Amino acid sequence: MNAFSFAWRSLVRQPARSTLGILGVAAVGALLFDMLLLSNGLVLSMRDLFTGVGFDIRITASDSIMNTGRLIEDAEETAADIAALPSVDTVITLRVAEALFSRPEVRSRYVSFQAAGGGDVRPWTIIEGRQPETARELALNANILRRMDAAVGDTITVRASCSDALEAMPPLTFTIVSLADFPFDSINGATAGVTVAALEEACGGNGGNAADLILVASTPDAGPDAAAAEIAELRGDLYPLTNDAALGQLQAGSFSYFNQISTVLITVTVTFALLLITVLLTVSVNQRLGEIAVLRALGMSRWRVIADVVWESVLIVGLGGVLSLPLGALLAVWLDRILKQMPGVPTDVHFFVYQPEAFTTHALLMLVTAVVAALYPMRVVSSLPIATTLRNEVGA
Amino acid sequence: MSLADEKDPVNIILGVIYLTVLQYRGLIISIVRALFVFGIAACAALPAVATVLAQQDSPPDILISRQLADSVGLAPGAIVRLSATTDGVDARAFRVSGIYEPTPDPMQLGNVRREMRMHLPDLLDITRAPNVPAGAEFVSSVNVALADPTDAAAFARDVNARMPGVLATPSEGGGRSNAPFVVLERFHLAIAIVTIVAATVFLLALTIMLVDERRETVGVLRLIGLPARRILTQVLVEGLLVAGVGAVFGLALSLAFEDLINWFFQRRYDTALVFVQITPTVVATCVAIAVPLGTAAIVAASWALLRRNGLRLARR
Repeated sequence: MNAFSFAWRSLVRQPARSTLGILGVAAVGALLFDMLLLSNGLVLSMRDLFTGVGFDIRITASDSIMNTGRLIEDAEETAADIAALPSVDTVITLRVAEALFSRPEVRSRYVSFQAAGGGDVRPWTIIEGRQPETARELALNANILRRMDAAVGDTITVRASCSDALEAMPPLTFTIVSLADFPFDSINGATAGVTVAALEEACGGNGGNAADLILVASTPDAGPDAAAAEIAELRGDLYPLTNDAALGQLQAGSFSYFNQISTVLITVTVTFALLLITVLLTVSVNQRLGEIAVLRALGMSRWRVIADVVWESVLIVGLGGVLSLPLGALLAVWLDRILKQMPGVPTDVHFFVYQPEAFTTHALLMLVTAVVAALYPMRVVSSLPIATTLRNEVGA
Repeated sequence: MSLADEKDPVNIILGVIYLTVLQYRGLIISIVRALFVFGIAACAALPAVATVLAQQDSPPDILISRQLADSVGLAPGAIVRLSATTDGVDARAFRVSGIYEPTPDPMQLGNVRREMRMHLPDLLDITRAPNVPAGAEFVSSVNVALADPTDAAAFARDVNARMPGVLATPSEGGGRSNAPFVVLERFHLAIAIVTIVAATVFLLALTIMLVDERRETVGVLRLIGLPARRILTQVLVEGLLVAGVGAVFGLALSLAFEDLINWFFQRRYDTALVFVQITPTVVATCVAIAVPLGTAAIVAASWALLRRNGLRLARR
């Protein structure tokens, strides 16, 4: 009988303790797997979101990707200048204001009122209907359509607020021309998309030809880095950030919390698993010292009994590790659902994202845990004095 | 004095002055006294007057955050010019009167707090749009300290009902089930639950093995006449002791790591925010979970053993 079969029989002989050991490893392994998914999950998810919008450079008036309230003045002219650069393919401006939407017999709601100008591309996807074209048309997301009890083709009263809270803009009637999906919408987010002319009219002329953000798509030949450099050269007062640079800023800033906590929890779970598997194996070996001494006396080599211990550890950790993957996947769904309750988190962003590196690292960490956990029990069986152990066993 | 001297015009003038002084000496002494008193008063008031004048001339005071001071190399007493626009139009001078440590804000985690504090009228002066008359500006928020903080929710409801267009929320965030740190608390709780489940499973495996090791001892105790209930009580007490010592050890470990974790994250994020805080409630929760769980695991593992026959346990 080879070492693997022997270790398997040792496990099967003690089903309760083996099952509990494997389940324990599975629970710890699931947490470990989730922390590996979390460590880069948010960044990968945001990257998908950024690239999905179709633009690879974001231009702001401050060096922070987070909205600081500073506007890019003369947005239309700035966008035209940028669009003329050879490395730039498409440019749009984005201005975000707030508006109070009302309909008869429905509670009024505050909505994020987004105006896109410049090129033909819009940072939202039409699901039903068409793009807003005139000054009194808008596209709404599903949340606000449902809350306002409205449908495509209905009208809605809009009171916009573009510069400060004291504004009391006259109500304007807009026609809902489409149901749209806004990529950065949160789960409960209420968003409307309009033309720049519509926002200007809703703001009573206070829009001021300004933009919160200018989105740029570079040409495939030039690439985002070259385009960003050209934009920076053209307008030294603006901050062009490529998607990678924006992600780097997020990773170094607010996203780093999840990276840090995943590192801490990976360390804790691996240490926890290591200690417990070491204890399990050590107690198991200690209970079988007499048996091991007999096997050694019958001619089984030292390396062979060591191999038995290693295989036993590998079996417990391996089976637990395999079980931990589906368990971790379920746990990830639960934890992701909890974290996505945070305000402002886009619906399409996930905290736990599958990546090949996570599977590899998980397998590697489990393997290292199995081997390291077996070191002490291996030492116990390798240095076992056969005659003394047998004498003690007979005496007992 | 000679005749020629007596006719000297200078002597004549001095003589006249002498006679005048003699005649009005009382009045002159009074004037000199008054001037003396006025001089002393002026000297005493001079520093105060100088301070007032200096204040009128010196720019208004601002406070700057430690991070801003570090990043741009400012120190108290420095004069800076601030403008609301990037081109520096209408910049006004301010004096850095001090450096402060920003109030730890979990929402600002990871951001370098380059901030400053200034008096509201000064802020309004530099940010007011040309077409906005003084006094017509707005503020972003108004902080209210209630006499009874437990009234916060009721107060917020009242304000929201009476003042349309104003949103009042209790600062504790208790009113919002999706406040970021309420969500993070739930996330940490979920991880704690998974950890407890894993630990419980391991604990059961370990106690089964430990109880198995004592099979013969329990068999002998049964054979010499100790009832199962008596042995179970012993196991229970032993379980309580082991779980209690384990809980204390775990808490000691947590306390040892508390400062280390806070030190690491406070350095990492350059903040005074406290990340880990072991409060009496946390201690009580840990003990309330760990001790019954550990004891229950030991008793559950022993229960199956105690139901067996003494002879079988003693292998005789």
